[in-house]
Amino acid sequence: MSCHGPAPLPVADRHGTHTADDRTSPAPLRVLLVGGPNVGKSTLFNALTGARQRTTNAPGTTVELATGTWRTAAPGSRDPAIERAVVDLPGTYSLLARSADEQVTADAVRELAWQAPACACAATSRLGVAGVAVVVLDSTALARSLYLLAQVAETGVPLVVALTMLDLAATATDSPTGAMEPQALAAALVAAIGVPVVPVDARNRAHGGLRDLARAVDEVAAHPTHVTGIDVPARTVSDGATAAVLDLAQELTHAETLFAWVERVATCLAQVTTGLAPASDTDADLTCEHPRRHLPSGRGLRGRSSSGRSSGPILSDRIDTVLLNPWAGIPVFLGVVWLLFELTTRLAAPLQDVIDRLVNGALASAVTALLGLVGLDDSWVQGLLVNGLLAGVGTVMTFVPVMAVMFAALGVLEDSGYLARAAFVADRVMRSLGLDGRALLPLIVGFGCNLPAFAATRTLPNARQRLLTGLLVPLTSCSARLTVYVLLAGAFFPDHAGTVIFAMYVTSVLLVLGGGLALRRTLFRDVQAGPLILILPPYQRPHLRTLGMSVRLRVGAFVIGAGKIIVATMLVVWLLMALPATGQYAVGDAPVADSLYGRMASGIAPVLAPAGFGNDHAAAALMTGFVAKEVVVGSFAQSYAVPEPGDPGRAGTLGERLRDSFDASSRGHGGAAALAFMIFVLAYTPCVAALAEQRRLFGWRPTACAVGVQIIAAWVLAVLVFQVGSRL
Amino acid sequence: MLPESPVGAKLRVTGVRLPLADAFRLHEMGVRLGTLARVTQHAAFGGRVIAVAGSRYALDGGTAALIDVEPVGPLSSPMTRP
Repeated sequence: MSCHGPAPLPVADRHGTHTADDRTSPAPLRVLLVGGPNVGKSTLFNALTGARQRTTNAPGTTVELATGTWRTAAPGSRDPAIERAVVDLPGTYSLLARSADEQVTADAVRELAWQAPACACAATSRLGVAGVAVVVLDSTALARSLYLLAQVAETGVPLVVALTMLDLAATATDSPTGAMEPQALAAALVAAIGVPVVPVDARNRAHGGLRDLARAVDEVAAHPTHVTGIDVPARTVSDGATAAVLDLAQELTHAETLFAWVERVATCLAQVTTGLAPASDTDADLTCEHPRRHLPSGRGLRGRSSSGRSSGPILSDRIDTVLLNPWAGIPVFLGVVWLLFELTTRLAAPLQDVIDRLVNGALASAVTALLGLVGLDDSWVQGLLVNGLLAGVGTVMTFVPVMAVMFAALGVLEDSGYLARAAFVADRVMRSLGLDGRALLPLIVGFGCNLPAFAATRTLPNARQRLLTGLLVPLTSCSARLTVYVLLAGAFFPDHAGTVIFAMYVTSVLLVLGGGLALRRTLFRDVQAGPLILILPPYQRPHLRTLGMSVRLRVGAFVIGAGKIIVATMLVVWLLMALPATGQYAVGDAPVADSLYGRMASGIAPVLAPAGFGNDHAAAALMTGFVAKEVVVGSFAQSYAVPEPGDPGRAGTLGERLRDSFDASSRGHGGAAALAFMIFVLAYTPCVAALAEQRRLFGWRPTACAVGVQIIAAWVLAVLVFQVGSRL
Repeated sequence: MLPESPVGAKLRVTGVRLPLADAFRLHEMGVRLGTLARVTQHAAFGGRVIAVAGSRYALDGGTAALIDVEPVGPLSSPMTRP
């Protein structure tokens, strides 16, 4: 067996992070959480790791992984705590990967299989094996999950089964195994498959099962057992290959043997569920052993009350008659998206104002006063700290409420079970772009703010779809761009300002559609709208503690991941504005026009001439707009040395100056130049914060390419609009 | 045909005419030949939701049209109950 497996996954420990290659001392036992989508894997992960977790991308991919430390007290009070490194793998129905996310899971399981103790190249934990897979099975739909269990077992990885969704099983009246008490179900499953099965109620840790799970994991690590009826290692599942390059017919033939195993296990469980005496020996591979001996001492094989159990509609079915109704489903979906839009704009706005006042007001004043005490007020040091560093930190912090609201709202939609329904309802709309219905959500949210829209791409099931959607998000016209439209439409088209602004939003929608189609036919040919086959989780009440933990983790990842880029960029912008282009000014004293920033704008202006706005004012405003679109109006006011209007729609002196300079740079076609400028603002990079988040989620290369394409597209569109408009 | 089956209808899957890769995934997800199902919802654009062994599967209209089914009577085993 080869020791050269897939790239190792990052593992977090209490001292920081290390990779699987970094093994100079006995490594903590690795625990991989493997399971299908929506089986409660992440809830279990949160319950196991608490605050000791971090999110990171799997090596070489944009697939997000949560890693953390699972700590339990060792037997005997004087022993140190036992730590295990847990990885929450992307949900999958199969180890025959169909997407980058599924490939990460398949690779991780395979890597663990390759790190068996016999393999000299891999260090093992103090317990003797490199790790254990905890296969998470949804107790409301056991038969569905057994196939993945069989595939994992086939790799030879030591494994433990965790039974989740126990609270829902009690109400899932049409679930074949829902009639059984958790312990009875676990005992029946142990009897059927021969590996430890632990019922865990991760949503309610008091009812636990977590200690039992820890015990089972350590036991299996010390004495690996294998699943009854599964040959190991008769063959490994898709050794490094994806489904695209597999001989599917051959794989299907092999899968039939696993399906048969699933049927046999299901039959054993059915016999126990119906109270029939288990068969003594059903076939050569599987014995339907009586589960009694696997029950905790003193407990009988009890079922839940049979009253109310039927194969009729369950509560989720009744809710779906409204939410998935052919007529009501789409309006409900649009209502949910509208609510999300409102939450990320209106609810977050007052909080953003408070933070802005605190950081850029009170804190900036305090820092200025402190610097005054040491004689550094009005110096470049003050400029660097207040206008560079603090302004950057302020920008990051003002986005925290938006991101927190978005993550919380998405968490509620996901945990409640509605997000899968949203994908189903919006499927037809997004199909033309080859995207999942869930892609509509970030694209609509983007019209409020692009930053949380990037966050919303995480709800998409595979990395390529997330990237494609992430490249389209900047084309949605965020509310910050509206101030620019209002200013220019009011100044150049006072009688038709509303129509012009509306046209900008229509253009934004067309850009998203056009951009999506263009990308799908070029770089994203692999993203195809295949058949929609979606498992709808039962509706359930979101768990506040789990939700809060998830929001905290994700906001923290944003602040650290995107925040440092935002702060660094703000510092660079300040530096360019502070450094004089000539020797006649001191650092921090030069007017913008005589700073390096101003000279850069002058250098860019000729490039913008074919679009009709090749003047220093417009170029400087666009450069400032790269940092944030909200400050474009202020930048114009600053460069014309006029007061910034409180209402951009009544620009007054600023409007006159704009008309003068745009008329001059466009040879009398100021209106066409203003339209071209608005198109440029719509199409080019949204802001540095969005850019930083894009980089955090998708990496430098796609982000840099996207910025380049956006700037070129913005220039081409602006030139087109001006050249056509000036001839009409 | 699945699209023509009313809500509440109990069915048995008799054929899947999807491309092999998609049919394979459907099998992996738990819908295989002989699987018993019940229609729980008709959705927009021909979409269907079916119940199989306690799970709910949402299928778009095109996919639903490529799954062949036949009606079945009362079911005998809880594990195969839709």
